[in-house]
Amino acid sequence: MMKLLSRPQLSAFSISGRQLLLVSAAGLGLAATAVSAQEIRVWSGYPELAPFYQHVAEGMAAEYPDLKVTVEAIALREHEKRVALGVTSGEAAEVIELATTIAARYLEGGLLNTPPADVTAFVKDPANFGEFFVNSASYDGTVYGMPLFRGQSALYYNTDMFAAAGLTEPPKTMADFDAYAEKLTQRDASGAPTVTGWSMRLSGGGSGIAEKFAINMWQHGGELIAPAGEGLWKSNFASEAGTATMKQYLHNLFDTKTVTVESPADADAFERGQTAMFIRESWVIGDIATKAPDLKYATATLPRGSIVSPGQLYVKAGADKEAAAWAFVLATQKPENLLWLLDNVGWLPNRSGLDFSAILAAKPGFEAYVNYPASYEFFTVPAIGPIDEIQTRAAAFLVEAFAKPELATDDTALKAFLENADKEINAILDREGLLGQ
Amino acid sequence: MLKRRRLLFSLLAILPVIAIFAFVRVYPISEILRLSLHKWDILSKKKPFIGLRNFQELLGDRLFHEALFNTSIIAFGVLLITIPLSLVIAALIFHRTRSRFAAFYETAVFIPHVVSLVPAAMAWKWIFDARLGPLNAFLSIFGVKPMSWLFDPVLSIICVIVLCSWQALGFAVLIYLVGFKSLPVSVYEAAKLDGASGRQSFWHLSVPMLKPITLYVSVVTLVSAFNVYAQVYVLASDAQGAPGRQVRVLVLDMLENSFRNYRVGYAASEAVVLLAIVLLLTFVQFSLLRDKRAPR
Repeated sequence: MMKLLSRPQLSAFSISGRQLLLVSAAGLGLAATAVSAQEIRVWSGYPELAPFYQHVAEGMAAEYPDLKVTVEAIALREHEKRVALGVTSGEAAEVIELATTIAARYLEGGLLNTPPADVTAFVKDPANFGEFFVNSASYDGTVYGMPLFRGQSALYYNTDMFAAAGLTEPPKTMADFDAYAEKLTQRDASGAPTVTGWSMRLSGGGSGIAEKFAINMWQHGGELIAPAGEGLWKSNFASEAGTATMKQYLHNLFDTKTVTVESPADADAFERGQTAMFIRESWVIGDIATKAPDLKYATATLPRGSIVSPGQLYVKAGADKEAAAWAFVLATQKPENLLWLLDNVGWLPNRSGLDFSAILAAKPGFEAYVNYPASYEFFTVPAIGPIDEIQTRAAAFLVEAFAKPELATDDTALKAFLENADKEINAILDREGLLGQ
Repeated sequence: MLKRRRLLFSLLAILPVIAIFAFVRVYPISEILRLSLHKWDILSKKKPFIGLRNFQELLGDRLFHEALFNTSIIAFGVLLITIPLSLVIAALIFHRTRSRFAAFYETAVFIPHVVSLVPAAMAWKWIFDARLGPLNAFLSIFGVKPMSWLFDPVLSIICVIVLCSWQALGFAVLIYLVGFKSLPVSVYEAAKLDGASGRQSFWHLSVPMLKPITLYVSVVTLVSAFNVYAQVYVLASDAQGAPGRQVRVLVLDMLENSFRNYRVGYAASEAVVLLAIVLLLTFVQFSLLRDKRAPR
C-alpha cells in the first residue's frame, strides 16, 4: 500500500507552480546550448499520446528551431517488442516511454542512459514529485527516468442506465457490484445479456486480464503478487481475497449471468451503451469525449483503492543526441504541457503542483482520480523482471477458469485450481530467485 | 585432367549457392541450436551455458504443452481437410479443362492464397462473430442455437483450421492441377477401353500416379500449418479486451518468450522442438508416400 500525494500536496498545486516553472526553465536553458540541427525520435506504447508529444515538440520550436522530433506511437505490446529489439541492437529511439515494471529489466542490464545532474535534481525535488514517483523512476537508488503519467483506475457508470434501474449512487462495496450488475443487465427474450451489468475483462489474452483481476482482488483485501520478505514475492491466488475475487467473477459469469465472455467489453462497449459500468484508467474520459460525446456517465472511486501504474520517459542516446533527448524530456514537464495532457488525452500527470481546477470544472469525470478519500489505498504491480511473464501466466489460468462453470459450484475444485495457479507462478519466481515464503 | 577441371568448375559454379544457403539456412539453424543451450536473456549481459535445462523446463511448461497440442491439432486438421479436398477439386477442374469457365474455376480457387492474410482473417472473424456473424445467422435457419465460435476452446481451434485450410487450398489445387496435366493420357484411354468408370480411373490411376505431388503438397501444407501464427493473431489477437479467445500456438509462445519475457534461449529450445517435429513428420511422409518402385 502506498500514498501518491497527501491532501495538503494536492491543495498546494498553485502555490508552488511558479517555482517549478523556474526550475524547468533553468533545466531547459542548460540543455538548449547543446542542441542544434538535431533529429530525435520518441517511442510510445500509447497511440493516443502521440498528439501530446507533438504538442511538446511544437512548444520547443521557438527555443530549438533546428530540433526535429519524430513521434512513433504504437500499441503497447508491439511497443514493448520493438524496445526489446531496438535497445539491444542499438536502433532504439532516443526517448523511450516505459512503465516501471518493464523498465526494470533494462535498468538491471544498464541499458538506459543516466540523466544529467539537472534532470536528476528536478526529479528528486520533493516539490515536483512524490516519493512514490521518484522511486518508480529510479533503480538501485539512482534516478533514470522522468515520471510522466500514471494509470489509475476508477469506476465508469452510465447514469441513464443507473436511473432506469432505480440506482441513485455508485456501488460502495464489492457486494454492491454484484447486486448492481444484476439490476443493470438487460436481456433478450432468451435471457442472454444484451447490455452487461458490469463489464469484466474476460478475454483477449496477455497480462491485461490478470491486471484487472488484481484491481478487483485489491478491493477484496489482497494482492495477486504479494510481498514475502525483502525483495521477495509470492503468488496469492489461493488466498482468501483471491478466492473471493474468483468467486465473484464466476458468480457473475455463471450464476447471475450478468456478463458473458462473448459480450462486447471495455471502453468500446461502454461508449456504445453495451455495458452499464466498468473499471478503467482516466484516458477513457478523453476517449468518450471523442467517440461518444453525448454519453451520460459519471466516475466514482473504487471501494478500497486503486492500482497505480506509473509511466516514465527514458533516454537511450549516443553523446550526439543525448542533450536534445533530455531537453525534450524536460519540456514534457512544463505545467502547461501536463495540463494539456490531462485535458486532451486524459492520462494523469504525475507531477505535483499542477492546478487542475479549470479542467475539473469542465470535466468532472476526473474527480474520482484526483479527489479521492483520505483512506483510499493504492497498490502497484511489483517492478520485477519476470512480472509480464507472471501476469501472462496468471491470465492464461483466468481465461481457463472463465470457461469452467463447474468452478462456480465446486469449492474443492476451485481451491485446487487456484493452488495450481500459485504453484506455476511461484515456479517462475523461484527460477528468478524472487520467491519468498 | 579435363574431368578434374570440369569437376572444379562445377564446384565453383555451385559455391555461391551453397554459400547463400549456408548463410540464410544453416547458420540460423545452428545459432538456434546454440541459443537453446544457453540462458540467453535478451537484456542480460551474462548468457551462461546451461546444457539441456531449457528442454527440461519445457517438459513441465503447461503453456508450451497447450501450444504444442493446439498447433498439432491445427496442422493435422489443415492437412486432413486440404489434401483430399484439393485433390477432388483439382480433378473436377481438370475434367472441365475444355469448359470456357476453366480459367474462372482455377482463379476462384487460387484467390484465397494470394489475398492478403490480415483482411481475409478479419473477414473470417466477422463470419464467426457470435452476435453479428453470418454463420450463426445461417445456422439459425435450421434451428441451430448461436455458437461462440471464437470463444469456445474447441470451436476456436476449428475456426483456425477452417481459415488455414481455406488459404492453403488454392495452392494445393494448383499443384495438383499441374500434376493432372502431366499424367499420361494413354493410360486413361487404355483404362477406358477396359471399361473403367471415371471414378475408378480417379481412384486407381490418378491417386496412385499423383503420389509424388501428394507428398510435396502434404509436406508444404504440414510445415506451413505448424508455423501458424498470423491467422491466430488476427482471429483472437492480443488486443485489450479482444473479442476472441487466445488460441496459444507454438510461434506465438516463442514470440512471447523472446520479446515479452526476454527469454530468447528458452524460445530457441521451443524452436528446436518444432524443428524436430517437422523433420520427423516430413521423414514419415516421405517414407509413406514415396514411390518405392521409382528409380533412384
